[in-house]
Formats: sequence, structure tokens, C-alpha cells
Amino acid sequence: MASGAMTLTEKIIAGAAGRDQVRPGEEVWAAVDLAAMHDSSGPRRIGDTLDRLGGRLWDPQKIVLAIDHFVPAANPRQAEIVTLTRRWARAHALPHFFDSVGVMHNLLLEQDLVGPGMLIVGADSHTVTAGAAGALAVGVGATELATVLVTGQIWLRVPPTVRIRFEGALPAYLTARDMAMEVLRRLGADFAIYKAVEFDGPAVGGLDLDERAVLANQAIEMGAKNGIVPPTGAILERLGPGPRAQGRPVAGDEDAAYESEHRIAMTESPPLVAVPPNVDRIVPAGNLDGVALDRVYIGSCVGGKAADLRAAARVLRGRKVRVPLQITPATARVVQETLRDGTLQALLEAGAILQAPGCGACAGLHSGLLGPKERCLSTVTRNFPGRMGDSTAEIYLASPLTAAASAVAGHITDPREFL
Amino acid sequence: MSGVYEGQAWVFGDHVSTDQILPGAYLDRPMEEVGSHAMAGVDPSFAGRVRPGDFVVAGLNFGCGSSREAAVMALKQVGVVAVVARSFGRIFFRNAINNGLPAAIVPETSGIHQGDRLRLDLTARTLTNLRSGQAFPLQSLTGTSSEILEAGGIVPYTLRRLGRSP
Repeated sequence: MASGAMTLTEKIIAGAAGRDQVRPGEEVWAAVDLAAMHDSSGPRRIGDTLDRLGGRLWDPQKIVLAIDHFVPAANPRQAEIVTLTRRWARAHALPHFFDSVGVMHNLLLEQDLVGPGMLIVGADSHTVTAGAAGALAVGVGATELATVLVTGQIWLRVPPTVRIRFEGALPAYLTARDMAMEVLRRLGADFAIYKAVEFDGPAVGGLDLDERAVLANQAIEMGAKNGIVPPTGAILERLGPGPRAQGRPVAGDEDAAYESEHRIAMTESPPLVAVPPNVDRIVPAGNLDGVALDRVYIGSCVGGKAADLRAAARVLRGRKVRVPLQITPATARVVQETLRDGTLQALLEAGAILQAPGCGACAGLHSGLLGPKERCLSTVTRNFPGRMGDSTAEIYLASPLTAAASAVAGHITDPREFL
Repeated sequence: MSGVYEGQAWVFGDHVSTDQILPGAYLDRPMEEVGSHAMAGVDPSFAGRVRPGDFVVAGLNFGCGSSREAAVMALKQVGVVAVVARSFGRIFFRNAINNGLPAAIVPETSGIHQGDRLRLDLTARTLTNLRSGQAFPLQSLTGTSSEILEAGGIVPYTLRRLGRSP
């Protein structure tokens, strides 16, 4: 290892801090490239803080605001928050304001607002999703985001990087969600606290941006500060020469030092399910075969993307669901794309119910919450007690393939016999 | 960094998420009203029984999950003066410090029982269980986080960085 070698996360922090090099454990002040917030964490929560800090935004061009949590509003309180958010965006003439057209994390990727080498700070834990494009993306609370909106800076402790290398190919009956669950099964829900997790290897190289987003997104469920997928192949081409032309890093040094490295071959993994109430209680779907379900839910930033709806359609085409299947597309563009390619038609003909794009029931706010002891198989972000409604509801997490197959069966099942 | 706190322990387990500390059902409420729902997803009686000056003690990964600052504010509103755990969800940790709530990481919490009297000494950097006499070194609250806590939170700290008086 050369003394100056750094991982991609370390390179991004060094660049943002104006340093040639940083090492894990050091604390730096870093210049933020983009700050993001939504209707729950945004204007309603930061107004007072902004006033105390002088009220002047550092750079409206670098601020993203999305109304995604409280739409469609379940009650007048939620509607009032949405209105307050919309008026704030207008008053500040924000160029990047997304009003009820999808989840902030997915919009950042879809609208090409994030790219490799950027430092993204967002007032939401799943801000890490932007790591799919090779950015360093970290979540913070609302008050800290308000300080970023005024100063354009954040303090960071340089995290050690854990490398997850996926060897071999990804079998057709698995998705990136199974990859993330395989990591959680082996390493647990807290192995990456205060650390960066970098995902690479042949099985990652073949993933599109939607699937890379799953790995980056689920890094927070591993406890990580950030998840990052160094862009390769078609992803790097899609992102164009921009980032490299700007001198931004797109990869770590080959001889960079990782805190640890884990090699995983998905060819040996069955379709997986996370059993409530923990994201790391992972078992093969086949072991739960026959566990009856009240409902199936496909949606959220991690599980409501075009790739997820298409995966579900692979199973559902020509079949009928036996339990209600709710679908909450991550963004309005996902609705358009899956309408155009026939995916939506297949889902609706199978008996699925389509809801408005956004966070849906994932944040436990509206649109199909779970009642006491209700059992749901879901593609949402996490299965903590109360996540989707009542704290006694049972949320099993799985890939869209497993979710769709289980909706047809009426109970949890291995999707392989449906493909 | 200075400050000494003494209070009774409320003990919780591993992986208590912010979805439990302040459930989504209360996220559309004004921040001033979240206290009465503190820990509602784990122990709905907690908010009514905890007393000003008490500590929340947990195991691994306390405050994992959602970035909702209301989880920290709910604990503060019912008078919790410190949170102690073997590890914290990173965003919860920052939210606590940013709002002037000490988040103490110690190597072991299994010897702390419900109702034990604890003493957190930020100068000596120790957490002492006054019932058992056991003392633990603090593993957090160094560097920038201790400066933010000392300033009373990220807002007064930022005002100082900007050269304005808090």
C-alpha cells in the first residue's frame, strides 16, 4: 500500500476539504456540493434555525427540496405541512423543487443532480442512496441541514471503508435486494456504524443504476455513514465526462487500505427474506414457505423503482394475486416508463392496486398503513416495529420477485418456481 | 469539556430505532408536542413516568434508522439529560449533540439495571453506576462533537463559527 493511497470515500472527503490526503479518524470541514431535504425534514423544521442563523441561503442552485413524505396527505395537518413547504420553495425561488412527483432520493438520481465524486448532504437517512452514482452521500438531521444551507459546509470524521466484493454473476432469481440482505445476514445491522461501505465486483458491474441504488440505500441499514458504488461501464458512460473533467474522483486507488474486505458469491444464495423486527434477521424465503400474508407492498425509494416494478411483472404476467398487492412507484417518471413498456398493464391485470408516487406507507404516515398484528411482505426500506403503522404489525422484507410471487401464493414463497 | 449529570436509568435493549423512539404517527405534529410520545413504540408509559434528570440507557445501535430529529427532541422534552449506549445510529448521535444532549458511548451497559442511579462526568470522561460502583470510560464526545456539545448545540456553535454571538 502506497502511503498516499485512498478509497473513493476518502478521496471525495479530501477533495471537499481542500486536502491532498485524509486518513480514517481525522475530522475535517468539507464543502458540500448539494444539500437535499423534503417536506418532513425541510422548511417546517428548519425555519426557526435559519432565522437564528441569519436566513440567507448559501446557494439556492445547490439546494434540492422534494414534497414526498406527506402526499397524498392523510389529514389536514399533513396537508398544512405540504402547503408550508410549497410556499417556502416559491418564496426562495428554488430551482430544484419537486412537488409531489416522487421520492427525493430517486429524483436526485433520475434528474442527474448527483454524480461521482460529489459530496451530498440530506436531511433523511436514505440520502445514502445517491452513493449509487459514486457520490459520497450522508444523512443528517434537520437542524444540521439548516446550518449547511447557510454555510455550505459540514464537519465529517473520515470513516474507515469496508469493502464488499460480489464475485461471480447474479442469478436471475435474485435482485440487488437479495445482495444487500446477504450482506446483512453475514455481517449484521451494525457492522458499519461510523464507517463507509463500498460495493464492487463482477456482480455489481452488471447492475443498472436502479439496482446499485438498492446497495447504496441499504448501507444505512448496515449502520453505515455512507454506501458507495464506484461507477463502472455503462454507468460511467451515462454520467459522461463531466465529473472527470471537473477533476472529481470516480474510483479509489487500487492499493487503498480497507478496514476489512468481504467476498460474497451470490450464486450460492437463495432468495432471502428479513424477518421482523430486524433488518438482519435474514432467512431463505423457502424456509418461510406457507407463512400466511394479509398484504403485499411494493414501493419506497429502495423497492418502488422501475427495476422493481419490472421484476414484479416478470412474476405477475398472466397470473392473479391472492392477497392485496399495493404498488407505490418511487417517482412519476417510474409510472410513465412502466406505463410505456407494458409493465403497469401486467401488474394491474394481475390485480395489483396502484398508488400515487412518493414515500407511500414506508414512513408510517399514510396510504395503506398496517394495523395491529397485520402481516405484510414488503419491499420497503426497513421492518422496524411501527415502520408502516402499528408497532405490532409484522413487516417481512424481500425482493420484488419474492414479493410478487408471495402475492400470487397468498403466503411467503420462494419465487424460483414462478420464473 | 465540562458538566456533571446524575439521574436514574431507563434501560432499553439493542437496535431501538427512531421509528420506536418517536413513531411515524406523530411526525406530522409540531416539534413542541412530541415529548408526550417519547419511546411510544417501545414503552407507551415511559413519557408519563420518566422524570427530569433521568438517563436513557441502551445496548447496541440506539437510535438507528430514520434521521427524524423529533426522536431526540422527544427525549429532551420529557427531561432526559443524557443517552448512554454501546453504539448509536450515527444520525441520532449527531442530532443529540446538535441539540445539546450528551450521547455517551461506553464499552458495556449490560450491568446497568432499570432505576440504577448514574453519574456522567464529562470532565473526567466517565460514566459511573452509583449503585454498583462500576465506572466506564467514555468513548465518544471528543473532537468536534465535544466542541458542539460544549457550545450548547450546532446552532450556537455555527453562530460562533460565523463570527456572530449566539
